[in-house]
Amino acid sequence: MEKNMKRLILIFLALFLVKSPAFASVDWESKGMQIVGEIIANPAGFFYDFQQDLEGTTPLPPGKRFGIQTGLFPTTIPMTYTNVSAKVRLHGEGRIAPGVPQLDLIGGYWDMLAAKMATKDSETVDKAKFGGYYVGGILSTSVSPRVRTFWGYKHSVLKAKLDFKPDAQGQLPQFMGTDLNDIDTGFKDDFFIAGIETPKGIGKLWSIQLNYGLKTQVFSSKVSWYGKYFELGLNIYPEGVLVVHPVWNFHLNF
Amino acid sequence: MKKLILSALLTAGLAGRLCAAAAEDSKIFTPFFDMTLSEAAFLPSEGNIFSGGNINTQVGLLSKITQKDQLFALYNFNYTGQGFTPQDSKQFTDRSMSHGFNFEYRRLINDRIRVRPGIGFNRGYSRTGANEAWKNGLYNMNSAGAQLAADYTFDEEKNGYVTLQYLYRSVEFPNYTDLLREFQNAGNSAETSGGLQDQTMGQISLRPSWNKFFGGLTYTVQNYKNQKVVANTGVYGTTKQKDTDTALDFGFHHRLWILEMYPMVSYTIHTSNQNFMKYKFLGDSSPQFAADYYNFKEMNLSVPVDLNITSKWAIGGALSLQRRAYDKRYARNADNDFISAKQVNTMSTLTGSIRKRINEVAMVRLFGSFIVAGSNNKFERYMPYNYTGNSFGIAYQLSY
Repeated sequence: MEKNMKRLILIFLALFLVKSPAFASVDWESKGMQIVGEIIANPAGFFYDFQQDLEGTTPLPPGKRFGIQTGLFPTTIPMTYTNVSAKVRLHGEGRIAPGVPQLDLIGGYWDMLAAKMATKDSETVDKAKFGGYYVGGILSTSVSPRVRTFWGYKHSVLKAKLDFKPDAQGQLPQFMGTDLNDIDTGFKDDFFIAGIETPKGIGKLWSIQLNYGLKTQVFSSKVSWYGKYFELGLNIYPEGVLVVHPVWNFHLNF
Repeated sequence: MKKLILSALLTAGLAGRLCAAAAEDSKIFTPFFDMTLSEAAFLPSEGNIFSGGNINTQVGLLSKITQKDQLFALYNFNYTGQGFTPQDSKQFTDRSMSHGFNFEYRRLINDRIRVRPGIGFNRGYSRTGANEAWKNGLYNMNSAGAQLAADYTFDEEKNGYVTLQYLYRSVEFPNYTDLLREFQNAGNSAETSGGLQDQTMGQISLRPSWNKFFGGLTYTVQNYKNQKVVANTGVYGTTKQKDTDTALDFGFHHRLWILEMYPMVSYTIHTSNQNFMKYKFLGDSSPQFAADYYNFKEMNLSVPVDLNITSKWAIGGALSLQRRAYDKRYARNADNDFISAKQVNTMSTLTGSIRKRINEVAMVRLFGSFIVAGSNNKFERYMPYNYTGNSFGIAYQLSY
């Protein structure tokens, strides 16, 4: 109880640091327009950031052979990305020879439910397909009894296709006064991953990692806390539209 | 230009971290890992809210070949996002990213002396508010070079040593071009306006450190390969541009009861033989000549204090002051006319924070800052000189 009180006081202190009158001057409307403009300029980039939220790019905990994962927030809810990811351990650390790192294969797939529903119900959307996948591998090695570093590679692909058709009046859907044309875009890159993992408590781990796209130079930093069932994360996309993504994923490791 | 000075200081800072990695006796390979991440929202008194972050990742490996010989390899990824910046440096919306590679050979000559020759490569990208592709940044920069450092240990018990280092870099800006000159010489087929920022950089530093007190004297010379100095006639002469920085710094990191302090002070003298022609508008027929426009003296002071209330939690406060006074540059009024006073810029930041230690290698910090930037320069069409701002954010650090 005392511990919780202390936390509460500290959180309030933090909130006081954020001078609330300062917010009064923020022009949220123009900020909103700016965000919409950035999404239109690079829709694939915007949707790919959510794909990175569901990608499982941490190594399997020591002793586990395989794992499955599904992203809950902000992927399934509210983005309707139905998704599944898996990890398989090829060999454990030091199994083949002393000092040889653990090697895991990772991969996953997602499909946007909203895109499917839009095609079914909409008069103006002719075809819609939003989805993607990733595959890769992660090497992890203990540098002390309490610290593991990991290194990885992933190949990520996103496909976004949206075809419009004129409605009963022969009008194409409009956005901000202009006709919307078909969207056929995508994203594809090979990423380098570097991270470090350290225990936070019994059965709880904490990690921080960098994902860097070699061709597109897209990058992100993921901070996550994970236990037996859930992973909480704070993914930062400094050059993205929504810079901070709070993340909640469910996983099981066997 | 500021970007380069920053990169030079960064290189010097990196060299310091390189030195910090120490081999564990029993191991042939010792990894080095340091990752910091911060993300903040910024509310300036003029303009709208924006967000920006910083990411710095260093991964290295120290290999012990023999008792006396070691090899150290380090990769450094750095991203600097949008944020409040000192006047006359860059726009709030400018962002930069770099990949640095450093290889160092360390040889113990005897118990007290160690030499460290090394090579380094760096690839830097820059981006403005226009969101151009990283590869097209006007100030993108590649550098390569070598360094030689020698450490002399004078007090083993209190970790007292002094480092003398010489560093050389050849720096290229492949995309840089002077757009105005290109426009004026539209009929000229030869490339005359590119490569103007290309330069070589030499740096010599002497840095003593003892009992967690540290300081140093650093002298940096930037020799431009193509950029010429503008004469009072308004045309570029034959002299090439040359900039120097002489910097003196001092700091410590000590704990006193529950107080943890790590203040730092530095004083820099910047000189450049470059002059300036002030055109009030495009096509101004009587521009004003300003000699030695870029020379300045700058003082930086930062006093961060953490109050360790428990072993996990700390409340922090920090005061940071920066003052830059130009030797010969006159400030301007709102109409872009020089006034009689020399230009002085100040920037003060007051920060409050809460820090939580997650475990022995990781920590998280919530922070809020109040910033006041002031200057007697009132011409602010392109860059803000006088503003206040708030920022608040979160920072993570993990180092091993």
